[in-house]
Amino acid sequence: MGMITVIEAQGLTKQFGDTMAVDNVTLSVPQGSLFGLLGPNGSGKTTMIKMLTGQVRPTNGHATVLGLNVLDDPIGVRKSVGIIPEQETPPSFLTAMEYLAFVGAVRKIPDIDEKATWWFSFLEFEDKRDVLCKDLSRGTRQKLMFAQAFLHKPVLALIDEPLINFDPIMQRKVKDYLADYVKTGGTIFISTHILEIAEEICTGFAILHKGKLLYSGAISELAGKKQHLSEFFFSAVQDDENA
Amino acid sequence: MGFELFTSMMKEEWRLHSTMFGSLSFALFPVLIFGIVFMSSFLLPLFRSVLPAGDLGLVTTGVFLLLGVMVGGFGLLGNEVMNRRFGQMSLLAYSARSLPLSERYIFTNFIVKDIVYYLFLWVLPFVLGFAVASPFIGVPPTYPIHLFVSLTLTFLFGLSAIFFLSTVYSRSKPALAIIFAVGLVIAGWAYLSFGTSLADLFPSLQLLRNASWVALFESAVLVAIPFVVSIALFTPEYTGTSKRFSNLLTPLTGKLSFFPTPPLAAKDLVDLWRSGGGVGQVIFSFLLPLGLIWFFLSVLRALVPDYAVLLVFAVTTGIISATMYTWITSFDTFSSYACLPVSVSTLITSKICTFTVLQVIPAAFMVVVTIITGGILYLMPAMVLWGAVSFYALSVSVYLTGLTPNILVYDVKVLLAFLVLIGVPVMVMIALAFINPYFAVAALLLGIPAFGFVRKGYTRWEGKDMASF
Repeated sequence: MGMITVIEAQGLTKQFGDTMAVDNVTLSVPQGSLFGLLGPNGSGKTTMIKMLTGQVRPTNGHATVLGLNVLDDPIGVRKSVGIIPEQETPPSFLTAMEYLAFVGAVRKIPDIDEKATWWFSFLEFEDKRDVLCKDLSRGTRQKLMFAQAFLHKPVLALIDEPLINFDPIMQRKVKDYLADYVKTGGTIFISTHILEIAEEICTGFAILHKGKLLYSGAISELAGKKQHLSEFFFSAVQDDENA
Repeated sequence: MGFELFTSMMKEEWRLHSTMFGSLSFALFPVLIFGIVFMSSFLLPLFRSVLPAGDLGLVTTGVFLLLGVMVGGFGLLGNEVMNRRFGQMSLLAYSARSLPLSERYIFTNFIVKDIVYYLFLWVLPFVLGFAVASPFIGVPPTYPIHLFVSLTLTFLFGLSAIFFLSTVYSRSKPALAIIFAVGLVIAGWAYLSFGTSLADLFPSLQLLRNASWVALFESAVLVAIPFVVSIALFTPEYTGTSKRFSNLLTPLTGKLSFFPTPPLAAKDLVDLWRSGGGVGQVIFSFLLPLGLIWFFLSVLRALVPDYAVLLVFAVTTGIISATMYTWITSFDTFSSYACLPVSVSTLITSKICTFTVLQVIPAAFMVVVTIITGGILYLMPAMVLWGAVSFYALSVSVYLTGLTPNILVYDVKVLLAFLVLIGVPVMVMIALAFINPYFAVAALLLGIPAFGFVRKGYTRWEGKDMASF
């Protein structure tokens, strides 16, 4: 029996005016993996996630997520997955608790109070429960966005720069959570430019540079080549620059 | 520091607008004003036969006063806009705090920038349009300069009054309420005592009618005092407080369960309430403009029957009511919904529902105005006209601008389309109402195109990439 694929992108392309943000990317992500999309700033990682979640329409190509065509059914895709955008943007005038209640009501999640309380406790921000989102620090806003993405226990979560605003203790906690999540059958697709994070937690990865896919494979393949991810990454990007 | 902060703020304002509306569309805006005024100037001789020059001056002064109020209100609407201006957006007024500059210095530059920017955007093109046409319509060549000075002072008075009121608002809401209450009592008493001749006491109108150094001095003082007091009393607003709020959203979602998307509507209302927009918006963006419009429309009472004035006011109230759509979209960015299964059309539907709830305010306002002015016999046509125009204008806004109605303000192409789509049916309705007030009921027919515009708006905006993701 073959491996189940949860994300399948074929020739995905996005052009903004004269800028080619993502250029003909073909990629597949198997179920149960923690897949890292790596690339320098401006390489197209965020655009890729936006296309995969139906937030931005591709200029060319197509993609399916959990078997749903993102162009035909973007709402269906967003119903099924959890998304954490790069910039934490919970609504300014709702409190943290109200935001989770809002997400719960939109997603029709039962027992939202109980679930929200668990997340406040797990991510250690109970004291910010009744504070307006606009008054939260960036780290706390990211905790809130993290909680909203996993509130409905999605089978797939797409996370743009997952740990960037967390302190080292919270980073450890979140990494462990993601690893456990994958062990229990979930799939995580993260985009990041912090290679240490990717090397530590990812099972598979792809390198994007100037919108083009340079490489896609398993982290375990690097062990065979006796290479660290950072060395592999720099050499791939450098080769592309020189090409 | 010299003028660096000021010039950088000017550039920033330009880039902000040109990014939002497109460089060409925005650059054409003053050209549009110039063109409209230039062409309208040739109609002045015709207007004069029905509207004396003095009344025309009164109306023009009213328009510029309103313009100053609107520009000021847009820039400084209580805490929320102060926040948006100085807090969450990465505007220079906020980022300059990292420089060795006082908050008051930054705020003063911000005010001066607003004055200069909007003078070039609105006032100067208006006067230039008139100035270029003046040789052809028998107006003395010095009159445009005279017009420029008096209209500039009128505009600045509106702007400074709003800066003053918003400064009071950010210091003490009860103080603002007291100022309003006292102001209303004095205005009511003065109106009853002097009627429309009350406006003659306004210095910049005196200046427009009869140039004199005294009127110029009085106008300048009337502008300067609120500005100086605003700067002196200015208190910078900081985000990052840890004030706690009880959960309003969940009970409100329950109460709105008959709506198609209760949580979205509840969120809009909570946003509006918490942003300080509830009271502030009603005062600055609704009651104040309509109060001024009513005052200037009452000039028409000498020319047309009272019911006609009431019905024109109902139409105007309908158009102003439609701007409530901006109240419930301006505090929101679509990025808040980026990670949720919410489509653009669902969000627009929800905003329309919230808009409907807010229409209780203008509905009550129209009933009160109709009763106070003794027009109870015409309550039904007035209400039909107001409601139909309001929802029709909303549908046009939805079609033209989706979830970003602020674009209407300066995108020339969108503004022209809006003016045509609203202006033509509104003129027809006003004409019908003038023939017989009960013909105004025909405005219900606007429901048909309104429905079509909303449906087309869904398709149009659903197909576009979501903004600000």
